[in-house]
Order: sequence, then C-alpha cells, then structure tokens
Amino acid sequence: MWVIYTLNGLYFAALLFLTSLGLNIILGVMGILNLAHGSLYAIGAFMAAWTIIQIVTKAPAPLLYVSLLSGFFLAGIVGWVMEKTLIRAMYKRTLEYQLLLTFGALLLLEDLIKMVWGGQALYASAPFDLLGKIGILGSVYPTYFLLVIAITFCVGFLIWLFMGKTRLGIMLRAISLDREMATGLGLDIGRLSTLAFVLGSGLAGLAGALVIPTTPALLGIGMEPLIFAFIVVVVGGLGSLKGALVGALLVGLTRSFGIAIFPEIELPLLFLIAGIILVAKPQGLFGR
Amino acid sequence: MKYVGAAAIAVGPLSGSTKAWSQAKRATPPGPIKIAAVSFLTGAAAAPFGIPADNTFKMCADVINKEGGILGRKIELLSKDENGGVDAQVKLARKLLLEDKVDVDLGYISSASCLAVLPLTDELGGLIVAYDCGTHELMEGTKSPFEVPKFKLGFKSSAHLGIDNVGLALMIKKYLPNIKTIAGINQDYAWGRDSWLIFETAMKKLMPQVQVVKTLWPPLGNTDFTAHISALMGAKPDIVHTSLWGGDAVTFTKQAAGMGFFKNIKTAWSRGEPYPQELGKDFPEEQIICCAGTHYFLYPPPEKSPLNKWFVEEYRKRYTKYPTYPCYHAYQALYLYKHAVEKAAKLAGGWPTNEEIASAMTGLTFPTPSGDITIREDHSAVEDVLVGFSKLIPKYPFPILDPKRMEVFPANQVLPPVGIRTVDWINSWK
Amino acid sequence: MLGNPTWVTYGIILLVLFFIPYLLPTHDLLLFEYGLTFAIVGLGFNLLLGYTGLLSFGHGAYFATGAYAVAMMGKYLPQAYAMEILIPAALLFSLLVSIIFGFLCVRHTKIFFSILALSLSMLLFALLFKLYHLTGGSDGLRVPIPTMFGMAFKGIRRPLFLTGTYYYFLLAMFTLSLVIMRGIVSSPFGKALQAIRDNEIRAELIGIRVRRYRLYAFCISGMYVGLGGALWSFVNGHVTADLSHWVFSGEIVYMTLLGGFGFLEGPVIGAIIFTYLKLYAMGNTEYWMFVIGATLIILVLLLPNGVSGAAAALWAKMRKGKKVEGVSC
Repeated sequence: MWVIYTLNGLYFAALLFLTSLGLNIILGVMGILNLAHGSLYAIGAFMAAWTIIQIVTKAPAPLLYVSLLSGFFLAGIVGWVMEKTLIRAMYKRTLEYQLLLTFGALLLLEDLIKMVWGGQALYASAPFDLLGKIGILGSVYPTYFLLVIAITFCVGFLIWLFMGKTRLGIMLRAISLDREMATGLGLDIGRLSTLAFVLGSGLAGLAGALVIPTTPALLGIGMEPLIFAFIVVVVGGLGSLKGALVGALLVGLTRSFGIAIFPEIELPLLFLIAGIILVAKPQGLFGR
Repeated sequence: MKYVGAAAIAVGPLSGSTKAWSQAKRATPPGPIKIAAVSFLTGAAAAPFGIPADNTFKMCADVINKEGGILGRKIELLSKDENGGVDAQVKLARKLLLEDKVDVDLGYISSASCLAVLPLTDELGGLIVAYDCGTHELMEGTKSPFEVPKFKLGFKSSAHLGIDNVGLALMIKKYLPNIKTIAGINQDYAWGRDSWLIFETAMKKLMPQVQVVKTLWPPLGNTDFTAHISALMGAKPDIVHTSLWGGDAVTFTKQAAGMGFFKNIKTAWSRGEPYPQELGKDFPEEQIICCAGTHYFLYPPPEKSPLNKWFVEEYRKRYTKYPTYPCYHAYQALYLYKHAVEKAAKLAGGWPTNEEIASAMTGLTFPTPSGDITIREDHSAVEDVLVGFSKLIPKYPFPILDPKRMEVFPANQVLPPVGIRTVDWINSWK
Repeated sequence: MLGNPTWVTYGIILLVLFFIPYLLPTHDLLLFEYGLTFAIVGLGFNLLLGYTGLLSFGHGAYFATGAYAVAMMGKYLPQAYAMEILIPAALLFSLLVSIIFGFLCVRHTKIFFSILALSLSMLLFALLFKLYHLTGGSDGLRVPIPTMFGMAFKGIRRPLFLTGTYYYFLLAMFTLSLVIMRGIVSSPFGKALQAIRDNEIRAELIGIRVRRYRLYAFCISGMYVGLGGALWSFVNGHVTADLSHWVFSGEIVYMTLLGGFGFLEGPVIGAIIFTYLKLYAMGNTEYWMFVIGATLIILVLLLPNGVSGAAAALWAKMRKGKKVEGVSC
C-alpha cells in the first residue's frame, strides 16, 4: 500500500512540477508572473482532448500518445502570440501593468476557449484505457500514471540538460541571474525572452494535456493548478528550477500520505507547508 | 413609473401597471413574457448542469411558443450566466427584476446563488423559481418547527438533496442489509458536507450496526483522486457514499476503475444519474445510483408516460444526448410557471399579478416527464426518489438502471413534513 | 482652504451626491451604492499601489474580513448587531488581519510581494470555505439589516433601507474616507511613502524606516478595504468566501487601474465605472469575461493612467501648457 501512496504522490508531483517549472522559467528569465498560466494549461488540455477525439477511431495507438503533445505545441504558440503582442509592449512598464495584462489575458483566454471548443466536457481517455493496469506488490495501478511520471522525469531531465549544457540554456540562465549584465554582454534579450515564454507556456500546456486521459477537459480546468503552482513557486523560490522540483515533490508526497492518514488536512496542509517554509526561509527553499 | 424617490418602496415589475388593470378590465399586457433563465454557462458546472438545463429551457420555450405561448403571449427567453461570483448574481438578479422587468427569474444551480438571490423576491417584489440548487437550507428555517413559506414570492421547483441521501440509505437497507462498513468521499464544500450529513444521519437510524470507516473531502475541481482512492481501498468499506458531480465524478470513476477500486467496493451516488451516460462502458455495474428525484430517461418507461417519451425524443433530436436530471429540473421550473399563470389567470379573469401567480403555485400539482409534481405550502417541490443499480444491457451503450431492481421511494419517506428541519426529522424516526 | 478649487469641486460633487436618491431610479441607485463601497476600497488600495508602489493581488482578504465581521456578528452576536458596533468591529478585524498578513508581505517586494499577498488571501479563502459550520462555507452568510444609532428597521424592505437612511450613512462614510485619505497622502507620512515608492534605497538613506512605513500603509489600506467590505455587505445582503479569492482581488486592481492610480480620486471613478461595466457585460453577453479582459488589455495598452489620467492629459492639452498636478507612473 505504501508503494501505491508514494506513486500517487509522485503522479501529483509530476503534473505540479511541469506547471511550476513553466511558471518559474518565465519568472526567472523575464521577471513576469504570468497569471494566465492556468489558461495555457487549459488550452493544452482542450487541444489534446480535441485532437485525440478527432483521431481516436482512425489512428494507431502510439499516435494517440504523440497527439498529447499537441497540447504542448498549441500552448506554446499561444504563449508566443501573447509574448509578442502583450508582454513585449510592456517591457518598459512597471510590474503592475504586466500583472494586469496577464490577468486580462486570463479572462480573455477563458472565454476564447469556450468560443473555440464550446462549453461541453471533452473526454479523451483512450491513452489511459489502452495502457491498462499493472500489478504492484498485490495492488493494481494504472500504467498510464507511470507513463506520466516517466514523461515528466524525461522532460525535467531534458530541461536540466538544456539549461546547463546548451548555449541557449546558459544564456537563459544568465538573463535570469542578472539581466543588465546579460544585456551588456550582448545577449539578444528579446528573442531569448520569447523563447522562455514559449517554453514555459508549452510546459503548462503539456501538463494540461497529460491530465486529459483521466479527466474531462472542462472550462476553468486551469484555475486550481495555477494556485498550486503559485504555492510551489513560493515554497521553492522564485525562478528556481530546483525549487520547483523539490517543492512539487514535497507537496505531492505530503498530500498523498496526508490524505491517507489525516483526511481533513488536504488544502490547509499545503498552506501549512508554505507557511512553515516562509517563516524559516522567507525567500523560499532555493530562492535568491 | 421609472423613477422612484428615496421614500418609495421598490416595486415589482408589474405592480405599477397592475394597479391600473385591476381598475379596468384585466387586459393582457402587450409584448412577450420575459423569462430569465440563469445557469452556469461557463466554468466547471456548465457542461454537466448549466448547458443541459439551458438547452432544455430553450427547447421548452420554443415548444410552448410553437403551441401559441402562454395564454397567447410568446415567451422571450433570456439566458444568463450564473458564473462571476455571488456578488455579481445579486446585482444581476436586481437588474433582471428592476430594470429588465422580467416576469420571472428561473435560476440557480449553486446553493450559494440561491441563498443570496431568493431573499430578493421579498425585497423587490419579483418572482424567482430556484430550479436546481440542492441545499435543504434554502427553504428551511433555523429551528424546528419553522414558519412557512420562507419567501412569499420565492419557490423551489425541485426537491432538495435530502431525498437523494435518504433514498440511498433506504435502498441500501433494503438490498444490502448485511453490510458492515461505509465510507464517504464528498467535495469539501456545503454540498458535499450536507449530503454526507444527511446520509450518515439516516444510516445511523436505519442501520445502526454499520460503521463509518473513512470520510474524505477532496476540494472542488480536484483532478487527482489517486490518493483518495488508495486511502479508501485501505480502509476496506463495503459501500462508499459520494455526492461527487461533473468532472470530479468522471475523473474519480475512471481513476478508481484503473486502480481496481470497484472489485470489492460499491459506490452509492446521491446524484449519479448523468454519469453512466457520460462514462459509457467505463462506468462500472452494480453501483447504486440515485436520480435527484425520479428523473430518468427510462422512468416512467416510454410506454407508460407519453410525456417522458416526448421529452426524451425531443431533447435527443435537438441535442443528441439523453436528457439528465438538470434537464428535467429545467422543464419543471418553466412548466410550473406556465401552469400557475394559466390557473391564476382563470381565477383573476385576466393576466395575473405576481402575488396571484404565487398563490396559484402554492399547492399546485402539474404533470412533468417524471410524473406529477406538487408544490407544497413551504413553496418547495414534493418529489419521490428513484434509486437503482447500474447494469449494462445490449440496447444502450452505457449502463442503465436495472429495471428489476428499481425502487421508487415515495416523498413521505424521504422528505420531512412541512416546517420541520430534515436532520431533526430523521433523528425523530423510531 | 475654502477658496481652494479642490474643496470647491468636492463640495459641488457632494451636493450632487446628496440629491442622487431623488434623481436615480432604485436599481441605478443600488448599483451606485455598490460603486461607492468599492470607491472606498479603491481609495485604500491605491494608498498601497499608487503611493507606496506595492501591488497586492490579495486585498480581497481584507474585504472579506470586513464583510464577514459583519455577517458573523449578525449570526453569533445579534444583540450587538448595531451599525455603531459593526463598523468599528470590521475596522478592527481588518486591521488585525492586515497586520499579520502585512508583516509577512512587506519583507518582500515586487513579484514576491504580489504572489505572497495572493497566497495569503487564498489561505483565508480556504479557511472561510472549509470551516463551513462557522462561516457558512460556500453557501455564505446572510447579512440582516442592522440597527443604526438606536433606529430599528423592523419589517422594512431592504431597498427602502438602502435607498433611504443607509445611502446617507454610506455617503458620510465615503466623504470621511476621502477627506482622511487626502489628509494622509498630503501629510509627511504620505510623502514618505511616495519617496519609498520612487527610490527605496534613497528613502532608507534619508532615515525613512521603509519596512515599517510599508506596513503602516498596508494596514491603513487593509482597514479601508475592510470598511468597504463591511459597507458592501449590507448592500449585497449576502457574503461568500469568494470575496477572498484572488480573482476578486484582481477586480479591485482592475478598478484602480481603470480609474487611474496616479490620482487620489482615480480609483473612485474606476470603482463606479467597473461596477456598471461588469454588470452590463454579464447582462448582455455570455462572453462577458472576454469583454472585461479585452477592456482591461486595451486600457493597459492605451490608457495606462486610467480614465482620470486620460482626462487630466486632455485637460492639460486644453489648457495649453499649464502643468498637471499628480503622480505619473
């Protein structure tokens, strides 16, 4: 049973990690808190659901999994559009305007989703069903969840490689550490910021897409993940990728075991953890 | 009439003109009847409830208009969104009643909206019919016995969540008398808490030997029930009570099925009627399902109820799916208004005032696709409750209620008498 | 002071406002009262945003505190349910919550401040939601009509109360709030806040206790917002947990921007306009969020100083060259 509890915690942490990672990349590189991040998650969810529904009767099984990536791509594209039109206009402005713009974008996108996909629930559970169950130490566990954990692990690893070993990644990190210096060194802040925003948005969309096989795409699906992502960012530290990982794991595992042992605790538990960490280390675990 | 000074009491939509009419012969007002239908058109409650209900309002208004309207006047339906917060709903209701001067406001799925908006009937003299919200607190007072009706011009055209949860308890006692343990997974807000409270209270009375081994309270909109499922399976209950709805209900069922939950555990759904259709063959058999009344596309069976037959076919023709209980609730609200207006008009000899309509609504029994419904003195609906077991049969692509084990518990077994609080009533059972 | 054009303008406006119940139909008057309560909220919020430079997306928490203070007294202490007790109680509780939350927040700036303020308001939201036996949870609580200075309003319909005695009380509260806020921002304290906003390091160097002053501003703004929430609760008649949700806080920010946070009166105008904007969007289209969102974006891009800023710029243009007073962003 404890193995299952751990796996449950890892599954929750995985999706949380992807969302917070995206938020933190944007925060770190651009200093922008994207309040519409949850809407990008929702766009990823709807796109993935819609794509799978279109092809589920005609396509071979592996294509269904690939089509989950459609969520990543559409969210990235929407992020690109957002960055070029809205965020770009506000570079020289103060923080207030950036936050307000992203808030306006949130309202806009929520209704845009409704305009495009309607208000009905979109179900696309084929990827979940096809993988069936696996027996673990006497208990039964859906294989799809293991796939999600594995995918997230790979994505996390890739991002780590990207940030640490590639030129682009190092440039992104440079900007997040010291923007002025980076400009002084001749880095193309504009294009790199766009990259960061697109990547962060895409990650939110990917998280939304991965959740689809077990839950219908519904209006407002991105609102709760947004709050959770905020908490992880506060706990892990602004802009910190390591913080996103540790924060997500902390929250996911505590939640899973907490529900089994103290059922009433759920949401308040999250805030409790955040509160303790903030009192002990006001900048978050790995914040600057 | 438009400008009201500080010293004047806010008047209802028709009463200014009504004074003129009662002096003259009652002329039918010109123009269409403006009916506001407020449901969730955005947000998570849109897909499972708001949109099916709104579809039904549109469908019924259309049908009534094609048949000549109500007493010759056509209906102009104004669909509004219940989202945006309770503050927005109060403002919107005031606008509808005072500025847009709607004849009636049929609304509200969320208990919070109902509780905030119904008092406006007395404040503003407007007619409001709450058509879907589940809370028993809407029409109940704080202590038994309480005075009825709570609102002179406020009505509830469907019964409250008490009937579902008492019905489940009665069903379990009848069909599964030997169970030993129960658990609950309900959303952590008033709906979930109230549903569990009533179920637990009824179970304690009916089957005192049964133990509660776990209660879980996931937040609304939770998409990951894995931890909850594992926790429940670890506690080994025979039956798990749930009032989960919408996306949460679907997600829970899918994830639970994937984790082998239903092998040894049955779920009892207080308003589960829509989910077999939503999940299709993914919805497990042998689960206990309650229909928020007797609202079901197969009850009464089409041979026995031409009205249900028509309703189901008409809805399917327009919207492809079978209608679910929010659809039936919407029908009830609109037709309650229609029948009441017709009755009141006969008595008044002309187009009735809000007070006359309210008077006609009280005690009115009228036909619906689910059977006859009565509105009693406390302005809320009296309904029987249908509970069944899910079963797959070849004819339908999703489990239906097993016809051999469908139970209809009459209203007097699941609803408290007028003026008594539900919980007090249950506690008074012998 | 009497000759000062600002006070003359205020006087004229006050006179107009005094007669509004005779000029507006009931529905519009009720809507206007919502606007007035949010105007008080905006005044307080802008002390923190426009004058101190701190953006909180979590001020709904104080609004909820004020509103729930009233509602819970109605439920648990009905014998003390009098306006003269309720208003101070709301102010007291808002102060308490702002001190606690503010203390945690002012240690940070910019993004972290905003995110922390947001998270704390969501914590309150979660508590209000969860402790439903106490607070009504998602169902919320009703707000009965209180007694006021010995006057009881038994059997009176709410609209009559609201369009009569209550309107004048609300107007008095609003006027008081406006006058006091004007006093605050013109005082040395107010100037110090602006100094902190413009250059934190410099302010510290000339001896201003930055963190402490920020906390003071935070608490004053919290009290104003709580007062607004309490006054609002009578108009709405019902309070729910979503008053503490961050999206509601977002509406407060929206109003302030809409009106313009460079001017003291900006948020007042913004509050009134936003009240109408949201209601008419909801009344006329199912895509009202799109309308509100698009309006916000257009506002930020084209009218960053809000309506009052745009009006001031226009006025300045018309007066050709005369300097415009106010704070630029």
